[in-house]
Amino acid sequence: MKKFMMKYLMVNCKEATFLMAKKEEGKLTFIEKMKLSMHTSMCSFCKKFEKQTSKIGIESKHVHAEDNLSGFTKERIERMLDEHLF
Amino acid sequence: MPLTMEKQAIKANPHKWLELYGDMLYQYALPRVNDSVIAEDLVQDTFLSALKGLDGYKGEASEKNWLFTILKNKIIDYYRKKATEQAVMTMPDLKLMDDEWFNEEGSWAENKMPKDWQAADNPVEKKEIQKIINWCKDHLKELQQHVFTLKYMEDLNSDEICKVLKISSSNYWVLIHRARLQMRDCVEKYWLKN
Repeated sequence: MKKFMMKYLMVNCKEATFLMAKKEEGKLTFIEKMKLSMHTSMCSFCKKFEKQTSKIGIESKHVHAEDNLSGFTKERIERMLDEHLF
Repeated sequence: MPLTMEKQAIKANPHKWLELYGDMLYQYALPRVNDSVIAEDLVQDTFLSALKGLDGYKGEASEKNWLFTILKNKIIDYYRKKATEQAVMTMPDLKLMDDEWFNEEGSWAENKMPKDWQAADNPVEKKEIQKIINWCKDHLKELQQHVFTLKYMEDLNSDEICKVLKISSSNYWVLIHRARLQMRDCVEKYWLKN
């Protein structure tokens, strides 16, 4: 029975990383959750993948450019604002 | 005294918008649309919409947050329009592509196995990671890039993204899986190089 369960719940790295994206949105079924946690408890690569991917997700929200609006564009916007304000 | 301050706070001041928020909005928009001309237009459109909606602005949100909300909606509109224009965006052959990442048993391919990253938790390192993320995101394939941007930079959920980009949910999960694999691998390469 135990052997059967193990086999039934065993997923490979490809499936496990796929399930991780769904996990982020709480879209895993109970069985999928079991499958994923069993896999990551044994696979250090997938454990790293999950941690690093989550870090990328967090930092992505803070990505900003360093460039400013060009002087030309600023003038254009200024004119547009003036037209509407007066 | 506090009363007058409150009064001032809820009044929008369009004369100051460009000076106070112009660059800020642009710096937010640019990495999210990858095109300086489009990003500039989005900033201008944001101000224009804000002017039109000035009467509706009750000061519940700060002026800055209010303008950012408008900009974020414009960014989503931009992707919505793009998806409509390119109605037949070719879905990549997913079976073929997966071979690059995993072997036949579905385990990590030898050259793709995640490595250890040194901690990147201080502000300087975070800034560096953000730059790398931006670079790597620019090098994602088109549809993966759209999905990644909306999911991780704009914080939309999968259902919202499917609607905006007009893709099926099964295609979405495959695309985001691919984008995550690609992004992690790319960030790792540049992070460990430094």
